[in-house]
Amino acid sequence: MADLQNDLHTPGEVGELDDLSLDPPIPAEPYALVADPEADLLDRAHALLAAHPVADGYSGLPWALRHLPWYDLELGEIAVDTDVPRMRQGHVGALFCSLHLPEGLAADRAVAATLEQLDLVRTVIVNHPEGLRLARTAGQVVDARNCGRTAVLLGPATAAALDDSVSLLRVLHALGLRILTLAGTSWASEAGLTRFGEEVVREMNRLGVLADLSGASERTTERVLAASKAPVLCTRSGARGLRPHPANLPDDVLAGLGKERGLCLVPLTAEQTGPTVRDVADHLDHVRTVAGPGCVGLSGTYDAGCAHPQELTDASCYPHLVAELLRRGWSETDLALLTWGNVQRVLRTADVTARAAQERREPSTARIAELDG
Amino acid sequence: MTAVSSLEAARELLREFPVVDGHNDLPWALREQVRYDLDARDIAAPQGAHLHTDLPRLREGGVGAQYWSVYVRSDLPDAVPATLEQIDCVRQLLARYPGDLAPARTAADMEAARAEGRIASLMGAEGGHSIANSLATLRALYALGVRYMTLTHNDNIAWADSATDEPNVGGLSAFGREVVREMNREGMLVDLSHVAATTMRDALDATAAPVIFSHSSARAICDHPRNIPDDVLERLPANGGVAMVTFVPKFVLQAAVDWTAEADDNMRAHGFHHLDTTAEAMKVHRAFEERNPRPVATVATVADHLDHMREVTGIDHLGIGGDYDGTAFTPEGLNDVSGYPNLIAELLDRGWSRSDLAKLTWQNAVRVLGAAEDVARDLQTTRAPSNATIESLDG
Repeated sequence: MADLQNDLHTPGEVGELDDLSLDPPIPAEPYALVADPEADLLDRAHALLAAHPVADGYSGLPWALRHLPWYDLELGEIAVDTDVPRMRQGHVGALFCSLHLPEGLAADRAVAATLEQLDLVRTVIVNHPEGLRLARTAGQVVDARNCGRTAVLLGPATAAALDDSVSLLRVLHALGLRILTLAGTSWASEAGLTRFGEEVVREMNRLGVLADLSGASERTTERVLAASKAPVLCTRSGARGLRPHPANLPDDVLAGLGKERGLCLVPLTAEQTGPTVRDVADHLDHVRTVAGPGCVGLSGTYDAGCAHPQELTDASCYPHLVAELLRRGWSETDLALLTWGNVQRVLRTADVTARAAQERREPSTARIAELDG
Repeated sequence: MTAVSSLEAARELLREFPVVDGHNDLPWALREQVRYDLDARDIAAPQGAHLHTDLPRLREGGVGAQYWSVYVRSDLPDAVPATLEQIDCVRQLLARYPGDLAPARTAADMEAARAEGRIASLMGAEGGHSIANSLATLRALYALGVRYMTLTHNDNIAWADSATDEPNVGGLSAFGREVVREMNREGMLVDLSHVAATTMRDALDATAAPVIFSHSSARAICDHPRNIPDDVLERLPANGGVAMVTFVPKFVLQAAVDWTAEADDNMRAHGFHHLDTTAEAMKVHRAFEERNPRPVATVATVADHLDHMREVTGIDHLGIGGDYDGTAFTPEGLNDVSGYPNLIAELLDRGWSRSDLAKLTWQNAVRVLGAAEDVARDLQTTRAPSNATIESLDG
């Protein structure tokens, strides 16, 4: 009986109302334009971003700072691409700080190295109280924004950081982790998710940790899309139809992502999306068309060791990109979703899913040896 | 005063000033016995057949605050993930029994839990191997609620000598002193149980905050390296720290120390490791035990330690750390966590006053955590988090 009830209903997405057949229906509030349509494109982009800031899906800042003997993000730091003044210029309202580890780090060091990254981000936030604020939930992201701070979310972390234990997932979540990349372990490999891998996804849903599928294998992607009760995201993926990079997504996956209301965050890197602003905009156009305007977002990918398109060299450059999209006729509502709204929706849905799952499920005690034998 | 009435008086006293216990290995027992299947060991129900600890007996024993040990073995790799699993276990226990266990991170939390009639639950890490030479990991443990770290367990680590290993760095290395300084800055208590006397002295020189001994007794009463020498006890008043007396028979009773040494020799003579618990090894051990009855410690044995420690260090520097579920044998009368009233009754009979006993059971341990918080607040205004590495300091 308990088994039956476990899957009786999937919690609905936030914002979708049941059809109550009201007569007359409550009309949707008309969207009021925030930018003067007559003004210059760049001015309009600034006005729009002031109202709908950028939620940046990937920053390599922690690892970049790790090797600097001294830095001051508040005053401005030329050794990195991201600092508080430039995030203000670029209207960055939320930043996902990657806890990924460089390749080649021994597996047994992964846990401690992830804790070190996490500690560094927490220290940076404490040292920059006027610019940054740690956020765990969608509500806290909005709070930070209303206080004029950039909300910092922890993640994505690498799956190896769990050391094959769901206990560690809970502990990292307790320390603030919000996103985990499902690749590069025995339970989320080229062969797809194992039984333990599925248990990890269920526990992530229960906690509200988002699944990141950038770099995940095709079979893992397919299985996680089907199994996850919360929306998934790809923190660094463009359109493979435009540029054949392994982390870019083919159209069928983009369509699947759109169907499951996931999120494709398009990176601003020369390698994945192309050397100019127009190339990045092409990817955004394509993803919007295939996955839908509710399933596309931005991922600066600054300080992650990638080359960036001209005009998009650091965190202050988002207005140039938005101006290009305005020129292409993107509506303000689509742009508001692209920069801020979609990430908000995904975070909030994951929060609600977690609350619902905690009513139904006990914390998992699964062990990899028992499930994957 | 008759025995019955002093036990009554002890229980009455514990209702007002319950026991703060410095060390309980329930999480390790749950890991080893049932791999954290908390349904299989529901501590809301009596678990006398498997464990020293469950909620009814904690209540009966007058326990008001417990440092749950998140111990992991020092002779295996992967100490950091294993420690995090132990922390997760404590968090699960707190989520499961919110009516009895109150999460506590500060002295104020401990007092609030006492006022609510719940058992304040804190965590202590047992051994510097749990941070893998990383001060960031130390801070992560603090952020997760760990409020003391024993500098070593039974084996030396790279930056500190253990009491039960060969001298190596001769106390604390330069990095070891940096660990102590960082613990001071965070507000994590430095625990000197298990460490060599040289490490105790080095740590007392290095620390800016009071230290604790989470489970150690007096070496003058029973000469075992796990116990505290008098010269170290004498330094506690100046430091403000607290020595929490432990009950483990093989540390507190000289006859038991000697018996254990003989039993270990016997095991080795038969070609087994002295901690081997396989069937054949246990057969050899039981045969030895039949020939040589195991000496039994009592409540009076522990009280003798407390009397001596009180002489040397003073009433303001004593506490209790039973080490339940971390030891196979316990003294007569202190068989499990329900036994604390027997110890208090014994001390009442020996003429300890109510205010003395209130310090022993509750006040000293709460004071020492509050003092560590005060020191941390001061240090954080002047010192940034340290990211020193063992390579840079110890070469």
